[in-house]
Amino acid sequence: MVEDPRTPTVPGEFTALAHDHRFHLLKARFRRLATTLVAAFLGWYFLYIALSAFARDFMARPAFGHINMALLLGVLQFVSTFVLAWRYTRYARRMLDPLSAQLRDEAQRRQAEREHIEQVMAERRRIENWTRG
Amino acid sequence: MPGDGRFLTFGLFLVFILITLGITIWARANTRNADDFYAGGRAFSGPQNGLALAGDYMSAASFLGIAGIIALSGYDGFLYSIGFLVAWLLTLLLVELMRNAGRFTMADVLSYRARRQPRVRTAAAVSTVTVSVFYLLAQMVGAGALVSLLLGIHPGQSFLGLSAGAAKVLTIIIVGLMMVFYVTYGGMKGTTWVQIIKAVLLMAGTLVLTVLVLARFGFNLSDMLGAAAKASGRAADFLQPGLKYGREIEGDPLRTLINKLDFISLAVALVLGTAGLPHIVSRFFTVPDARAARTSVNWAIGLVGVFYLMTLALGFGATAVVGQAAIAAQDPAGNTAALQLAYTLGEFAGGPIGGDILLAFVGAVAFATILAVVSGLVLASSTSLAHDYFGHVLMFGRPRESQEVAVARFSAFLVGALAVVLAVVARNLNVAFLVALAFAMAASANLPAIVLSLFWKRFNSTGVVAGIYGGLSGSLLLMALSPVVSGKVDPDTGASLSLLPAGIDFHLFPLENPGLVSIPFGFLCAVAGTLLSREQADQERYDELSVRALTGTGSHRAARRAGKRPSGR
Repeated sequence: MVEDPRTPTVPGEFTALAHDHRFHLLKARFRRLATTLVAAFLGWYFLYIALSAFARDFMARPAFGHINMALLLGVLQFVSTFVLAWRYTRYARRMLDPLSAQLRDEAQRRQAEREHIEQVMAERRRIENWTRG
Repeated sequence: MPGDGRFLTFGLFLVFILITLGITIWARANTRNADDFYAGGRAFSGPQNGLALAGDYMSAASFLGIAGIIALSGYDGFLYSIGFLVAWLLTLLLVELMRNAGRFTMADVLSYRARRQPRVRTAAAVSTVTVSVFYLLAQMVGAGALVSLLLGIHPGQSFLGLSAGAAKVLTIIIVGLMMVFYVTYGGMKGTTWVQIIKAVLLMAGTLVLTVLVLARFGFNLSDMLGAAAKASGRAADFLQPGLKYGREIEGDPLRTLINKLDFISLAVALVLGTAGLPHIVSRFFTVPDARAARTSVNWAIGLVGVFYLMTLALGFGATAVVGQAAIAAQDPAGNTAALQLAYTLGEFAGGPIGGDILLAFVGAVAFATILAVVSGLVLASSTSLAHDYFGHVLMFGRPRESQEVAVARFSAFLVGALAVVLAVVARNLNVAFLVALAFAMAASANLPAIVLSLFWKRFNSTGVVAGIYGGLSGSLLLMALSPVVSGKVDPDTGASLSLLPAGIDFHLFPLENPGLVSIPFGFLCAVAGTLLSREQADQERYDELSVRALTGTGSHRAARRAGKRPSGR
């Protein structure tokens, strides 16, 4: 059987995590990071596009040799992409990963505990049935 | 282009085909379950998947097409390079969330919190197949043209008894057979290795050309640009934006504005499309966890960035070294610029034999590029048809796994056959615009659904369905009414520059790329669909989705031992 992604989970498991204050912190950090990144790269990209479309004289200005502003800014788009990807990854490693690992480990431990308890209960029921019978 | 190197070209094609066939057969032996077939067992490392992502992404359209646009129209071709790269930052943001929340396809993420599973799945499958088939068509028509050029067959000539027309049809059929074979036989494992080899070959080929062409100018970029500007006969204008996109028409401010809006529309579609391309999304699931997925996107950004920087050297280098007249004589669209550059550079280094060798190598790289990209597209479509449509709509989410994989193999055959038929019909049309259209469709239909599913609490099934169908039909309709289909006429000769012959004109929408209108329209449909329906969003599932996406709790992981089911929920 292919797993159905809608198979019911233990009720409340995710809801409890969703209301954990550490999860709120993780969510807030991610949203701030995402907003900053999107604003930075889309803003800078569309500035470049707008300059290419409407500020042709500025783009034609020579920077050095035959390299003009258009080429310089174009290559800077590459540099900024590399830098933003690197900064994003560094922030995520420091500020997001430890928090999400902590939450995930706890959830997995709870899951394991629950499975263990279920096993014990099943065993107890089996024994009770057996002694009663 | 010269003559006898084509046997060498042909030989290198065969070597590539044989190696990849071997890998595919190996992959077949190691593909046991759905995880293997759809996601390569989730066992690829970050760097491996990064190479494969880059391999899936860098199409022949970007290798040959961008070099050609730069060679003939100068700076404007560089816009594509920039848009294609910057787009990856959006992908970087979404990759971990999607990897954590999904299993094999985009629809897994979209349907996670949707109350009406089948409708959402169907919409996602329709969109996946539509976007992929348009993209596929562009690649396959390009392959036909490329191979007949590489084998040096011009109208009236022949190679091994084939005329140019027959060679085109034959190439399209062979490419179709190969891609269907890679996918049905090798699944994600085989396809990923094909992508990795192709990415390495493409980077190597581009690097060799870049070094050789820069060496001609003493590694002075400025000198090369100067020589290109001089050779183009348009002096400094050649190095500035405006020769091809956003052209300023003297005395016609309306036309000028339309041209500029068209340019912006293309730029928007390029930067927002990547994160919604189905064949890119399906690659997020081939790694063990979200961190590896992030690493793979970082690798892809590095590779794709270096590659697109080099297209600058290829394009301007071709103008400076080969000359525009020679390029336009081979192919008016400039698609052979990189190949001609290879021949010329090889000739400088080692006479006609050197030219033949380098041309054969770069030609084989281009062929490998086409084969790899088309297989990625076929795999993404067949995965979606089997997993989303067959598995979750027809079989109500309860198919047998082996049954679903068999359906995936059969779907690959269907999609491949459809693409071959369409490509043979369209083989003499100029379908290069389809690549930009595929990006616009991905951004209009898929991106709103993905972003709102992950971040908007109230978003519901109706919103997903409305967003996907709205964005998809909006971009298709605008394209049908645009000048690429009808009504664009060469002002000097009166010949048609559109898909349809001159004289037919129903273009009501002035822009050639629909993105500027269709992407906001897709978002609008998604939001309106949500707000206008009475369906309540499933709050609990939304909490689950956000916990799962951000922390990776309960995400699908690689099975540790053979036979063990993935530790999903």
